[in-house]
Amino acid sequence: MSKKVGIPKALLYYNFYPAWKVFFNELGAEVITSGNTCKKIIDDGVKSCVDEACLPVKVFVGHVIDLKEKGVDYIFIPRIVSIEPKKYLCAKFLGLPDMVKCLVPDLPEIIDTKIDLYKNDKSLMREIVRTGKKFVSDKAKIYMGYYKALEMQNKFEGIMKMGFSPNEAIKSLEGEDVKVINNGNLKIALLAHSYDIMDDYICMGIVDRLREMGAFVYTIEMIEKNKIEMGVRKLPKDSFWTYGHDILGAGQYFLDNKNVDGVITVSAFGCGPDSLIEDLLERYYKRDGKIPFMSLTIDEHTGEAGILTRLEAFMDLLRWKKGEIVI
Amino acid sequence: MKITYPHMGPLNIALKTMFSGIGVDIIEPPPITNRTLSLGVKYSPEFACLPLKINLGNFIETLEKGADTIIMLGGVGPCRFGYYGEVQREILKDLGFDFKMIIVEPPHGRLADFFKELSEEFPGIGWQPALKSLIFAIQKIFAADKLEKQLLNYRAHENETGLVTKIYDEYTKLLDESQNKKELDEVLHEGILKMKHNANRINDIQIKVAVVGEIYLLLEAFSNMNICKALNELGVEVTKTEYLSDYLKNSAFKLPQKLEFKKNAKGYLERDIGGHGLNTVANTVKYAKKGYDGIIQVFPFTCTPEIVAQGIIAKIGRDMNIPVMSLSYDENTGQAGYQTRLEAFVDLLARKKMKKI
Ligand code: SF4
Repeated sequence: MSKKVGIPKALLYYNFYPAWKVFFNELGAEVITSGNTCKKIIDDGVKSCVDEACLPVKVFVGHVIDLKEKGVDYIFIPRIVSIEPKKYLCAKFLGLPDMVKCLVPDLPEIIDTKIDLYKNDKSLMREIVRTGKKFVSDKAKIYMGYYKALEMQNKFEGIMKMGFSPNEAIKSLEGEDVKVINNGNLKIALLAHSYDIMDDYICMGIVDRLREMGAFVYTIEMIEKNKIEMGVRKLPKDSFWTYGHDILGAGQYFLDNKNVDGVITVSAFGCGPDSLIEDLLERYYKRDGKIPFMSLTIDEHTGEAGILTRLEAFMDLLRWKKGEIVI
Repeated sequence: MKITYPHMGPLNIALKTMFSGIGVDIIEPPPITNRTLSLGVKYSPEFACLPLKINLGNFIETLEKGADTIIMLGGVGPCRFGYYGEVQREILKDLGFDFKMIIVEPPHGRLADFFKELSEEFPGIGWQPALKSLIFAIQKIFAADKLEKQLLNYRAHENETGLVTKIYDEYTKLLDESQNKKELDEVLHEGILKMKHNANRINDIQIKVAVVGEIYLLLEAFSNMNICKALNELGVEVTKTEYLSDYLKNSAFKLPQKLEFKKNAKGYLERDIGGHGLNTVANTVKYAKKGYDGIIQVFPFTCTPEIVAQGIIAKIGRDMNIPVMSLSYDENTGQAGYQTRLEAFVDLLARKKMKKI
């Protein structure tokens, strides 16, 4: 019988799930994801975590517990240190497998593949092989799985560049017929970590809400790399966090080119990197004074009504600026 | 040019020595007070961590006093300290200050690079006097740290409340004023002896606590509401696990301390996660093994590496049967609540120790 690998539907799931799934499938394993975030998952996560952990991490831990209860053989919690040269992810990702092991007792075996491209990718293949060996002994098979995963990642990113959110892209790769209406007349850049805005429970389906209100929404994943780099070049110092770099770069790009009507950032309460990145971005926007900028903070107590009201008010402001409504 | 820099433990004493040794004008940051903090809080991003806010308060107070050049350290992450300078500069600009900010980016976190970059900023200064003042400045840091280490022991058993602190303050000032190595050594020696003579360990039960955590919080007594003093006054001997001298040793000479940390943390945290998260975990194991009675972790509210460490050291505490308490600080931290928690913790340690005896 094939082994079951559990993948938590949280954190970097939204950035890499399709590739991870292909890799494990190629090794003959079955992939099981945790359920969608719900009250129980959040409560479990909150109970197991230290108070000060950020919401995305609490949610992640809740998903790990969900998988444990589902009875999987392994849980995949990679130690993602760096996914590109000279940049890190937030410190929490660096210690994620260690932290989860200390927080949740009696877990099935954790697959803690280390991904660290900070200096080079020398250790990567070793880690891939180490991971693969848990399932098959044939190295060629493991390499094959790795290349198929890379191919999948490219395909996934390509779909998102067409204007699909990570969730929509994942669905379409799984064969669902996804239709999105991303053609509103107000262009909005929604700059945030995918796990902060893609989890429909914690962020109330913010992308769709904005679209329903008549916005064309750009998330980081939909913006071409070269645009982000153009923006970054204008900064005195690039951010050393991958996602901070993307948020800053995209923000600066839109500020320079004035090709959106408004910018919204979303971050988790207490998020270290975001607290600085968003402050800088907000300063740049305020100094320029042309494009409205709004930042939202979410935590486990955020209410739907509050967020919706703020989104609506923001949309009204943009319409009024465009001369579409008079107040 | 009038240079300034933020406070961080004995850093002030050292930088003063160094810059005046090479004839550069400095404006010393005034001691950190509630005004410093509230200025910092008022203008910093709400969710920035406490050290950033206090630093910013330092800068505002020195710019008001006429400083025109700020020296700040940069970094390459993943801890957000490496981005402080960028944000602080933009905030100060928006406040309308006219100044230059030199952010020293240590490419590999090495002290040598730091001074190489600094020397590029101050041409015309001979490297020989510079080196001499630098060495003396570093010697002062080591001396100041040694004096403090003793303070944290003797004050727990002082003959008369406040006496050892008074001696310590007096001798820190003398250290600050000393003009050469010989004088420095004498002052240090005398200071330690004096503290010793005014303390009596015999009658107490000698509870030992290691205070672990984030380096700024450990170095700046104001930021931790002087936790070491509060513990000493409850009769507890304190070992602080981060000193500026250790930091210098590690960054200047790449001492094998990192390896020791990794060894101690093994099984709990498998790699450096930025900030002082690995140190916190490693030191918890180390002092638990040494038979300390308790561990207290201090860190700024929302400090990411320390939050990771917090969950891990709670587990270590259970595994190794040593009480562990974590305290995070921000501008809203109230003195009273903390004092109560410290008292309760020390009470627990005392009861546990009595049972053992
Ligand atoms: S980037 Fe922010 S939200 Fe994400 S794990 Fe780190 S602190 Fe939490």
